[in-house]
Amino acid sequence: MTWPWIAIALALVIWRASRGLGARAQSVLLPTAVGVLIIAVWRLLCLVQNEPIFPTPEETYGGIRELVVDNTLRDYVIASLFRVTWGFFLAALVGIPLGLVVGWSLRAYRALNPIIQGLRPISPIAWIPISILWFGVGDRAAIYLIFLAAFFPIVVGTMAAVRNISLVYVRSARNFGVEGVELFRRVVLPAAMPQIITSLRIALGVAWLVVVAAEMIAVDSGLGYLINDARNMGRRYDLVVAGMLAIGAIGILLDLLIRRLERFDEVRWGYAGR
Amino acid sequence: MTTSSESARPKVVISGVDKSFDTRAGPLEVLTDVNLTVHEGEFVCLLGPSGCGKSTLLNIVGGFERPTSGTVTIEGEAVTAPDKRRVFVFQEYGIFPWASVWDNVALGLGGQPRDKVIETVQYYIDLVGLSGFEKTYPMELSGGMKQRVEVARALAVDPDVIYMDEPFGALDSLTRLQMRAELIKIWKQEQKTILFVTHDVDESVQLADRVVVFSERPGRIKEVVEVGLEHPRDLGSPEYGVAKNRLYELLGVLHTI
Ligand SMILES: Nc1ncnc2c1ncn2[C@@H]1O[C@H](COP(=O)(O)OP(=O)(O)OP(=O)(O)O)[C@@H](O)[C@H]1O
Ligand SMILES: [Mg+2]
Repeated sequence: MTWPWIAIALALVIWRASRGLGARAQSVLLPTAVGVLIIAVWRLLCLVQNEPIFPTPEETYGGIRELVVDNTLRDYVIASLFRVTWGFFLAALVGIPLGLVVGWSLRAYRALNPIIQGLRPISPIAWIPISILWFGVGDRAAIYLIFLAAFFPIVVGTMAAVRNISLVYVRSARNFGVEGVELFRRVVLPAAMPQIITSLRIALGVAWLVVVAAEMIAVDSGLGYLINDARNMGRRYDLVVAGMLAIGAIGILLDLLIRRLERFDEVRWGYAGR
Repeated sequence: MTTSSESARPKVVISGVDKSFDTRAGPLEVLTDVNLTVHEGEFVCLLGPSGCGKSTLLNIVGGFERPTSGTVTIEGEAVTAPDKRRVFVFQEYGIFPWASVWDNVALGLGGQPRDKVIETVQYYIDLVGLSGFEKTYPMELSGGMKQRVEVARALAVDPDVIYMDEPFGALDSLTRLQMRAELIKIWKQEQKTILFVTHDVDESVQLADRVVVFSERPGRIKEVVEVGLEHPRDLGSPEYGVAKNRLYELLGVLHTI
C-alpha cells in the first residue's frame, strides 16, 4: 500500500507551495491539500481494521461509480433538491413577510413572539408522526418537514433584522415623506436585507440537513432514502458513505449558490469587514 | 449677511419647552423652559456641552419627539410630525447604504414628474461636487462625500428650514472647514433658515448669525450671542475674537487652559 504515502507527501507539497500565494489560490489549494490528506489517512486507518467496519476509499469510489452509471445518484439528487426547493421557498414565502410584520409592529411582536419562540425548539424530527398523519407517506410530508425546519430561522432572522434597523433610517424616510407601503419597500426591506440573506443561508443549510432525515422515513427516493436503503438491503456501506459524500458536496454547492446573494450592491454594506 | 431680528419674519418659535425622559432611574430632565425665535433666512447655531439636550431640542423642533410641555410653531403652525418642508441632516449618517448616490438624493422627490426629478437630482449632485458619483454606493464614499450626499438630499426637496445635528463632527478638520465654506455658499444662494447643532465654538462663530448657548443638563438657554459678521469672515478680526471669547466665557472655559 504505497499510494496513501505518496498522497500525504503530495498534500505536504501543496501546503508548502501555497505559502505566499494570493487569497484566491490559497482558498483552493489549502482545502485540496487537506482533502487529499484525509483520504490518505482514511485509507491507512482501514489497514488496521481487523474486520471491515468502514469501507475503504476505493470501495467508496466504486460505490459512487455504480450510482453514477445507473443514474441513481442523479435521480436521487434531483428528488432531494426538489423537496428542499419546495420546502425552502414556501418557508421564505411565509417567513419573510411574517418576520417583517412581527419585527415592525410592536403589538404583533408582543402577541406572536412567545408563540414563535415556543414552536422553534421543537425539532422537525418530532413532527414526523404528525406530518405523516396529515400528508401521508410521500413528498408532501417531507416538504412539510423541510418547510418547518427552514421557516423558523427565516422568521426569527427577519424579525431581528427589522428590529435592529437604525432609527436614523426610519426617521430620514419619514422626514422626506416616505410612509406606509413605500416605507416598507424603500427602507424596511432593504435595511433588513443583509440579515435576511444571512437567515436564508442558515435556513437552507438546515433544510438540507433535514431533507435527509425526512427521506429516511417518509419517501422512497432521495439521498436520505439511499443511505437507509443501502444499509437495510445488503449492508452496502460503500453506498452509505457515497451518499454521505454526495450530501456534503451538494451542501457546499447550495451554500456557495446562496452566498452569491451577498454580493449585490444593495446588500454589500451589511457585510462590511468580511 | 446679518439678519437683524427686527426686520426678518419669525420662522421657528420655540416657547416654554420642557423635556424629561422616563428612565429606569426615574425621570431625567433634559430641557427646561427653552424659548427661542429663529427668523426667516437666519443661520442659528445651538452650542452647548455634550449631553445638554441639543439633539433632543432639534428632534422636538423637527417633530420626531414631543416636548413634555411647551410648544413649537413654524409660521404659526404647531409642529406635530416630521415634514418635508423642514429636513434633517443627521448626526450619524442618515443616507441609505443600500441605495446609490442618485437614489439617495431622489428620496424625497416621489410624486414629481420624471424629468423634473432627473433635473433636480442632477442639479444638487453637481452643487455639492459629486458629479460622476451618481451610481456609486455610500460604502465606496469618504465620510465627507457621504455628508455631501446627505446635504444634497436635504436641499433637493427645497425645504424652508434645515436642521443640522453636528453634521461635520465625524470629518477631519480640513474637510470640515471646506464643508462649512460650501454650506455658507449654499445657504446664501438658496436662502434657507438653518438650525445647526454643534459643540465646537469655532464652528459656531464661523457659521452663525446668532449662537444660542446652553447650560449643562438640564439644558436651558444661557445667552444668545450675536456674531454680526459678514461672510466671508475674517477669522483674525477683533470682532471674531470678541465673539469667541464671549462664548468661551459662557461655557466656563475662558482663560482656564
Ligand atoms: N430617548 C431617550 N431616553 C432617555 N434619555 C435620553 C433619550 N434621548 C436622550 N436622552 C438623554 O438626554 C440627554 C441629552 O441628550 P442629547 O442627545 O439631546 O444631548 P446632546 O446635547 O445632543 O449631546 P451631544 O453633543 O453629545 O450630541 C442625555 O443625557 C441623554 O442621555
Ligand atoms: Mg447630539
